[in-house]
Amino acid sequence: MTSLSQVFSALRRKDRRQEMLLFGCLMFSTLLMTAYCMMMYSPTVQNTLPEGGDSRKQVMMIFVLAIISCGAFVLYASGLFLRQKSHDVGILLALGAPRTTLMHQLRRNLLVLASCACAAGMALGTPLSWLIWSLFRLTLADTPEMVLIFDFRAYGIPLVFTGFVLAALSVMLSRFLGRIHVLDIITESHRAEPVHAVPRWFGLLGILLIVTGGLLGYFTPVFCVRILHWYPPESLTAIFYLPALAGLYLLLLHTVVNDWHRGRSRYTHLVSTSMMQFQGQQTVRNMLVVTVLTAGALFSAFYVPMMVTPAQLGIQNRPADYSFFYRADQNLPDQLEIEQLAQQHGVTVTDFVSQPTASLAIDGFEEVETKRAVGITYIDEYRECLSECRFLSEHAWNTLTGDNLDLAPGTVTAVYDSEGGSVGMIPNEVTQVTNPVTGKSLSVLSVEPVLRHDLLFGCRVMDDSDYAAVTAGLPDAWRETQVFFQAEHDSYPFAKALFSEIVSRSGPETALCDGYDRICRARTIASGEKYFFDPENSELFGVSVIRFDQSDSSAFRLNWLYMPQFRTLDQADFLTTMAVFLLLFTFVSILCLSAVAVILFSRSMTLVMINAWVYDDLRKLGASNQYLRTTLRGQIARVFRAPILTGTLLILGFDLLILLGNGEGGITFYEWMGLVSCLAVAVAVLLLLYGLYRLTLRSARLFLGIR
Amino acid sequence: MLQVSNLHKSFQSGKTGCTVLRGVSLQVDSGEFVAVMGPSGSGKTTLLNCISRYLTPDSGSILLDDTDLSALEESELAAVRNQKFGFVFQDFLLLDGLTVRDNIMLPRIIGGKIDSSMEREADELCALFGISHIRDKYPAEISGGEKQRTAVARALINRPSLILADEPTGNLDSKSSRAVIDSFLRAQHERNTAVFMVTHDSFAASFCDRVIVLQDGTVRWSLMRGGQGRRAFQDCLLSKIRELGEVDRV
Repeated sequence: MTSLSQVFSALRRKDRRQEMLLFGCLMFSTLLMTAYCMMMYSPTVQNTLPEGGDSRKQVMMIFVLAIISCGAFVLYASGLFLRQKSHDVGILLALGAPRTTLMHQLRRNLLVLASCACAAGMALGTPLSWLIWSLFRLTLADTPEMVLIFDFRAYGIPLVFTGFVLAALSVMLSRFLGRIHVLDIITESHRAEPVHAVPRWFGLLGILLIVTGGLLGYFTPVFCVRILHWYPPESLTAIFYLPALAGLYLLLLHTVVNDWHRGRSRYTHLVSTSMMQFQGQQTVRNMLVVTVLTAGALFSAFYVPMMVTPAQLGIQNRPADYSFFYRADQNLPDQLEIEQLAQQHGVTVTDFVSQPTASLAIDGFEEVETKRAVGITYIDEYRECLSECRFLSEHAWNTLTGDNLDLAPGTVTAVYDSEGGSVGMIPNEVTQVTNPVTGKSLSVLSVEPVLRHDLLFGCRVMDDSDYAAVTAGLPDAWRETQVFFQAEHDSYPFAKALFSEIVSRSGPETALCDGYDRICRARTIASGEKYFFDPENSELFGVSVIRFDQSDSSAFRLNWLYMPQFRTLDQADFLTTMAVFLLLFTFVSILCLSAVAVILFSRSMTLVMINAWVYDDLRKLGASNQYLRTTLRGQIARVFRAPILTGTLLILGFDLLILLGNGEGGITFYEWMGLVSCLAVAVAVLLLLYGLYRLTLRSARLFLGIR
Repeated sequence: MLQVSNLHKSFQSGKTGCTVLRGVSLQVDSGEFVAVMGPSGSGKTTLLNCISRYLTPDSGSILLDDTDLSALEESELAAVRNQKFGFVFQDFLLLDGLTVRDNIMLPRIIGGKIDSSMEREADELCALFGISHIRDKYPAEISGGEKQRTAVARALINRPSLILADEPTGNLDSKSSRAVIDSFLRAQHERNTAVFMVTHDSFAASFCDRVIVLQDGTVRWSLMRGGQGRRAFQDCLLSKIRELGEVDRV
């Protein structure tokens, strides 16, 4: 050994485990990020998640959280690495090694290590995303639109992240070696980081702030929109969630420093509490990251049950096996043709009913928006013809549903879904109905009780004579036929065949998105603007295009205005239809959970390594293996328990809040069932993390030699 | 060789200030073996850390062969630490990833004085301190006494004029302590190296030429061994220390 670089090489051989740990942390973070980016920026996902849509926002929100968490994790791992190096570096300084030489050597080593780790992460991220995606296609659902196409622009964010890592490491190294006193550097690895005295009320204040922040953050935008008639920018309303974040910090701080145990049990956990106290700042920071990531993982994981359970229950409880409606100017299969097709498939059609409906214009208030310096304000302006609405005569309603409704002339009533989830979303305040072609208007009074039907919700019902009068002269393009029937010995091939028949016989003029409104369109175009749902504007507004040659795609099944509702078809194809969403959110959840697992394991093992001497001292003081095991359990359980439980409860509470905030009918039975499914998912995730906890505990016991 | 004059050092802990050294002045001559004793908190280790400039004194001067250490820049200090000083710490501060021989050669490597003599001198030092049989072992594989003898050998490889030793026998049993003291004596006699040793141990101090006792950050007295035998000098030391009324460890 003849040079300082050889000394470094020898020391690196000794520190290989630490280097591997840092390498692993950096590679893992970049790997996660690259895999996420590869998926997020693939045209497959970009085309499925509409720009500005809730799903895109949620995925992006979790993505940002994951990036921040990865950044925090990397900083922690780098800081830890330098701390572990400090002993050797301090000795070299004490023996007169020039700082500049040490800086040069360490910087070169670290930057090479970090660059290799990030490069490896980026290289492996692409096959990882492809592997998970392929496994999903292989095991759950596979559609032509699910071919994962890679976009090399996805490497942009991981490259920026790599730049951040290299810059952060350089700054940390400069600060680390820039200390004046050599002794500080030598003792750095043994330096405790006590959190200063924390009042016991911090715990309760933390909980209070979390609840307050959650409520403020959620309801402030609602208040702004409904009361102030102002759409504030999301960056502004997000500030109202900050008390929740501060509360979370206080709660975790209290848990680490003070512990929740009272009375005698406090003494049982005294040693583990004291050990945690001396790693306070980093422990709380790590816990915060784990809490956020756990919440993100569960939020993504809940997407599947929250979507699948209510939807499946809804499909199961539909009042008719088959339901579809079509424009009267379309040549779609009639009863005879349907029965013949059914016969070919061994299915018997029963209870066939078909009734006319009509699309009429209803009055109401339009939100006229004005862009402001901060956000958008709006005023409600009355429009005699606000939007298009399907109307049924009371006779049609009674025939389709078997009801015995008798409305007084001049009255209308709205149809909501059977669970009442749409209450508040469909206003029952219509005062005028207009024939959009003849211009004939009818003053009406909206009356209670509202009607409930899962296959007709969104429609309105009026008196027979009023219906006849107002629809007189209405061309077929504005008239529809609504069909219900049941099927004995129902089969998927029949359902699929009928669906294909409907699609193939539908004219191009019906290739429209759900939500397409001709009244609204006319008003928009009259005011010189482009209409949101016109197919030619789909790219401009990021709206799905309805293509009859892609009738099995998610975009078609979820968005076609005239999409039939066939129980057998919908149940069988549900996973396929929702595949991209399910995969995306499952993928996000897996990534977040992986990050949680790695952080928890590495943090726990670090704590154990740092405190190994305490366990030795406890042994010298006569501590039994049982006591050491209890202390170790107390220490590691705290790293796991507080952030995981807090993250789980937070996200369950947040989901509950969303359900309560949606509509005015409270939480429906289907939604409760969705929540129960979420709980089951949460329990499964908790069990997985419990397994990780046991594994960590075992590794820690092996490390400390505790039998 | 070493001249410390009117050295002051205080620490700030929150809003409370604590003065540790209150005008310490002392001198160490070339080839002299000096011990510094005193009760806990008297400022022994702070004094040593100020001399080595691990800590920056508030005021006062530290002259090493006419060079004022308190006026040196960081890079110049590094050279002084490497060339003029040899360090021996209570907890050895050996690099776990290097063998005993590599640890001994480390100051030479750091100083860039890498030549054919380096390995030979390391081997000589190993032989001098009776650690040749463990020279290829790692610190984790050797005893505390062997670690400290390795540290002494490392301190001597650059032929420094002064060894600064902070409680070098503090973590050792009596047999190992004796071996370490013997190492210092050999360095003193065979290489004319001065040794400045902070210790609580009157047995270790009794081998020195002179013992300086610190109390409350000042030099309380300085006792020359002169022609006394080691045991007589230790008795003399103990009686003097008893007079202080604060004996931490005898």
